[in-house]
Amino acid sequence: MNAADPVRFGALKQRALLVGLAALALSLVGWFLDPQQFYQSWLVGFLYWIAFPLGAFGFVCLHNMTGGAWGFVIRRILESAAGTTPLMALLFLPVVLGLHDLYEWADEAHVAADALLQHKAPFLNVPFFLTRAAIYFAIWILFTQLIVRWSGQQDEGNEPRPNLTRRIQLLSGAGLPIYAMTVSFATIDWGMTLEPHWFSTIYGMLFVVGQGLTTLAFSIILLSKLSEREPLAGVVKTGHFHDLGNLSLAFVMLWAYMSFSQYLIIWSGNLPEEISWYLNRSAGGWEFFAPVLIAFHFALSFLLLLARRRKQAPSALMRIAVWILVLRFVDIFWLIAPAFSPGEFQLHWMDITAPLAIGGLWLAFFFHRLGSWPLLPANDPRIDEALKAHEVHA
Amino acid sequence: MSDVHDVYGLMVEFASTDDLLAGCEQTRDAGFKNIDAFSPAPIHGLTEAIGYEGKGWIAKTVFIGGFIGAMSGFFLQYWTSAIDYPLNIGGRPYLSWPAFIPVTFEMTILLAVFAAVFGMLGWNKLPQPYHPVFNVQRFKLASSNRFFLVIESVDNKFDRQATRAFLEGLDNAVGVYDVDY
Amino acid sequence: MTEPQGVLKPDPVIEPGHDYGSITEKIASIVDTGRQPKFWWVGFGIGFALMQLFLVSAVWLLWEGVGVWGINNPVGWGFAIINLVWWIGIGHAGTLISAILLLLRQDWRTSINRFAEAMTLFAVACAGMFPLLHMGRPWFFYWLIPYPNTFGMWPQFRSPLVWDVFAISTYATASALFWFIGLIPDLATLRDRATNRTGKFVYGLLSMGWRGSAVHWYRYEVAYLLLAGLATPLVVSVHTVVSFDFAIGIIPGWHATIFPPYFVAGAIYAGFAMVLTLAIPIRWMYGLHDFITARHLRNMAKVMLATGLIVAYGYSMEAFMAWYSGATYETAMIEHRLFGSFAHIFWALIAVNVVIPQVLWFPQVRRSTAALFCVAMVVNVGMWLERYLIVVTSLSKDFLPSSWGEYAATRWDWATYIGTIGLFLTLMFLFLRVLPLISIFEMRTLVPGGAGKKGGDDE
Repeated sequence: MNAADPVRFGALKQRALLVGLAALALSLVGWFLDPQQFYQSWLVGFLYWIAFPLGAFGFVCLHNMTGGAWGFVIRRILESAAGTTPLMALLFLPVVLGLHDLYEWADEAHVAADALLQHKAPFLNVPFFLTRAAIYFAIWILFTQLIVRWSGQQDEGNEPRPNLTRRIQLLSGAGLPIYAMTVSFATIDWGMTLEPHWFSTIYGMLFVVGQGLTTLAFSIILLSKLSEREPLAGVVKTGHFHDLGNLSLAFVMLWAYMSFSQYLIIWSGNLPEEISWYLNRSAGGWEFFAPVLIAFHFALSFLLLLARRRKQAPSALMRIAVWILVLRFVDIFWLIAPAFSPGEFQLHWMDITAPLAIGGLWLAFFFHRLGSWPLLPANDPRIDEALKAHEVHA
Repeated sequence: MSDVHDVYGLMVEFASTDDLLAGCEQTRDAGFKNIDAFSPAPIHGLTEAIGYEGKGWIAKTVFIGGFIGAMSGFFLQYWTSAIDYPLNIGGRPYLSWPAFIPVTFEMTILLAVFAAVFGMLGWNKLPQPYHPVFNVQRFKLASSNRFFLVIESVDNKFDRQATRAFLEGLDNAVGVYDVDY
Repeated sequence: MTEPQGVLKPDPVIEPGHDYGSITEKIASIVDTGRQPKFWWVGFGIGFALMQLFLVSAVWLLWEGVGVWGINNPVGWGFAIINLVWWIGIGHAGTLISAILLLLRQDWRTSINRFAEAMTLFAVACAGMFPLLHMGRPWFFYWLIPYPNTFGMWPQFRSPLVWDVFAISTYATASALFWFIGLIPDLATLRDRATNRTGKFVYGLLSMGWRGSAVHWYRYEVAYLLLAGLATPLVVSVHTVVSFDFAIGIIPGWHATIFPPYFVAGAIYAGFAMVLTLAIPIRWMYGLHDFITARHLRNMAKVMLATGLIVAYGYSMEAFMAWYSGATYETAMIEHRLFGSFAHIFWALIAVNVVIPQVLWFPQVRRSTAALFCVAMVVNVGMWLERYLIVVTSLSKDFLPSSWGEYAATRWDWATYIGTIGLFLTLMFLFLRVLPLISIFEMRTLVPGGAGKKGGDDE
C-alpha cells in the first residue's frame, strides 16, 4: 500500500462509539435519578478527557517550534487529537446545564450570605463564566482547526512549502502562550472555583503539566500499536520511543514537583483559607489518595521510566503509559471530587459511566479524524533530516 | 619469547576515525585480545570495534550513591529534629517529612554526583601519572587530530615482528611505533 | 527541488571547512599562544579595578558592621538577598545549557556550554558572598552545617534558610565537578600542546593522565550524561529552594504557590540574558563566528522569549490571585506595588521585563547582535528590579502599619554589588586566559562525517 494512504480505524471507531453510547445511556438514566451526581461525575470525566485534545494542542505547538524526530512520528496523533476540540465544546454543555448544582457562587442566596463571594462576584458570576468558557473554546477551536488544516495542506504535492510551514510555526509560536493562559484560567474556572474560598497560584500550571503527561502517555500507546504496521513500521525507531519515554519521565517529575511545591507551601503556611483544601482531602477515605499518588503516580512511574531498556521497548513503554493514564484519572478525581463531598469519600457508579461516555465518544471522533489523513506528515523541510538523524543516535 | 616484555606493545597511527574503526575491527577479527584505541573525541562503535564487552557499572554506581544520599539525608534530619534535639517549631510535628524533602533531595543529588565523578575516574583508574603510550613521540597528537591503536605485548598472539608486519599491513596505516615501557 | 528558506533549514552549528586539527588549533591557541587581544586587557582591567571596590567594601563592612548597608528593621534582607538571588539565577543558565540541552540532543549547545558553565561557577561564587557577608560574622558560617558540637544543637531543618545552605553548596559542588569533568580531555590537549615546563606540569596534573582510550571515552560519556541528568533536577531545585525562602513564610507577596516554577523560569531568563551579554563580545573579541554562529544567538533569544513569557505569566497570576483571594493583606500588598510607593519600580519592571523583550518575536531583532545585546542588558536590569520589588515591598509594608519602614540602599550597598560584578569579570577573564573557552573535544564530534579525513597539519 502507498505510504500516503490513510489507515482506517473502522473497528476501533465502532467499538469506542458503542461503549460511549452505552455509557452515555446509562449516565442519562442516572441523570433522571440524581442530576446533581450526574453533573459532578460528568465534570470529573470532562476535566480528565479535555486533557487529551488540549495537551495535544500544546505539544503540537511546542513541536512546531522546536522540531525533533520524536514529534514527527506522533504529529498526526497529536493533530488529530487536537482537532477534536469542537466535540469537547459540545460535551461541555452538561456542565453549563448543571452550573447551579456544581458551583456555590452561582447560587444567589449563597452569595448573599458570604462576604468573600460578594467580593469575587465581578469574576464569579454566571454570565461572565459562560462568556469566558465561550472565549476559551473559540480560541481552542480556531487554533486547532487552523493547525490541522494547514498541516493537511502541507501534505499536498511533492514539494516543501516554506511559506506554509512558516505560517504554521508562527501560529504555534502564538499558540503556546495562549494555550498556557487559557488552560490555566479554564481550570481555575471549572475546577478551582468549586471551592470558591480557596486559591492557589500554581493551580493552572498543575493542570498544564498534567495535560502534557496525559498526551504523552496517549501518544505512546497509539504509536506502539501503529509502529507495528505500515506506514510507520519502517520509520519509527527505538530512539523515538526512548525520547518519548524521557519526555514522560520529565513530565512525571514536573508533575510531582508542582504538586509537592503547592503542598509544602500551603502545609508550611498553615493558613485557614488555604489549608482547608488539603483538610477536605485528608479525611473520610480521601487520605488514601495522596499516598497512592505519591507511590504510584510519582515513585513507581519514575523508577520504571528510569531504565533505558524499558524506554526502548515499545510494549514495555506502552504498559507504563497505560498505567500513567489510569493514575491521571485518580489524580483528577482527587483534585475535583472532594469538593463535592469534603472529608467523606464517595464513589458513585456514574463516576465510572460518565467518564466512559465522554471517553468513548471522544475516542470514536479521534479515530475518525486519525483515519482521514496520512499517518506521516509530508513535505516538512525538517522531517527527513530529523528522521535520518535519529538512525545515528538509536 | 623474550621480546614480549621488552616493549609495552606496538602502536599504529591513523588519520581518520573511519580508518581507525576499520583497523580495530581487522585487529579484533585477527584474534588479538589486549588491544586499545585512542582518539581525540569519543567515537561511536569504537568499544565494539576493539571487542570490549565490559558491563556499564557507572549507572549502578550512581544509583547506589543517590540511594545512600537519600537515606542519609532523611535520617540526618529525622534523628536531629525528632530524637537528639526535638524542638517545637510553630506546632509542626517533630517528624515534619514535607519539610525534610528538599534537603533529602539535595543530598541524593550530591552523593549521586560524587558517585558519577569518582566512579568514572575510579573505573578508568585515573588519575594515572604514568602510562607507556606517552613514550611515543607522535602520541601527543592523540589529543588533537590523530588516532592510534595499540596491541599490548601481553597478548597471547603478540610477536614483535609478525605483529608489526600485521599492523603495517592495515589499510591507511600512517606509521607503526614501538611503545617502550 | 526548491531551496528551503533559511528559517526552515537551520544554519550550521559549526561553519563548514573545519576538521579536528583546525578546531584544536583555533580554540587551544587562544590559551597557549600566551598573547591576548587588547580587549582582554581592557576587560580584565575593568573587572580587576571593580574587584578592588568589592574588597574595600567587604573590609569596611567587617570593620564597621552590617550597619554600613541600608538594611534596617523591618527590611532586614535588602541588597544582600536581592543580589544573592540575582547571581544565583544568572548561574542557572550555564547548567541549563550544559545539562538540559545535552539531554535534549541540542547540538548547538556545544560551543557555548563551557563558558556558560564557567559563568555558573563564578556567578555562584559572587552569590555566595552575600549571605556570608550578611551574617555579619562570616567566620561562624560553619554553624549552618550540621556537625556534632558542644552546644548540643542542630540546624533547624524546618527552615528554608537551612535548605538553602544545602541547595547552594550542592549546586556549587556539582557545577564545579561537572565543569571539571568536561575539561579533562581538553586539559590533555593543552598538556600535549604545552611548550614550557609550567604549562606541561599544571595541565599535566589537572588532566590526570587522560589518554583518550576507547574504554575511557565510553565510561566518560556515560558518566557525563548521568551528570547532566542529575544537574537538570538540581538546577530546578536550587531556585525552587530560593523561592521557598520567600514562599514558606506567610508574608503577603511572598506566600504564593506559583513561586517555585516562576522563580526557576526567571532564573533561566536572567541567565540566558547574561550568556548573551558575554557571548556577543567574546565572539567578536576572539573572532569565533565559525563556532558561535547566528543560530546560537537566535536560539538563545528564543529561550529568553519563552522564559520571559513564563515570568509574565507569574506576574499576572500573582496579581489576579491577590485580588481573587480577597485576603486583605495580599490585596493591600498588590496595591502598594501597582499604585503605591513602589509603583514606579513595578511599572519599570513590567516595561523592561515584559514589554521590551517582546521585540524578540521579530526575526530581524534575533538576527542583529547589537539589538540582542541591548535586549539582554535590559533583561539583566529587569530581573534585578524584580528581586528588588519582591524583597523590599513585602518587608517594608507587612501586616501592621505601625511596623512599616522605608528602605534605601547606601553607597556601600552599591559598592558591594558593583564590586561583585568586578569579581565576576575578573574570574571570567582569567578563565578565558587559562582554559579553552569552547569545549574542543565536543566541537570535534560536530565535524560532519565524523573525523579529520583531511588530516590537518601535523606540525
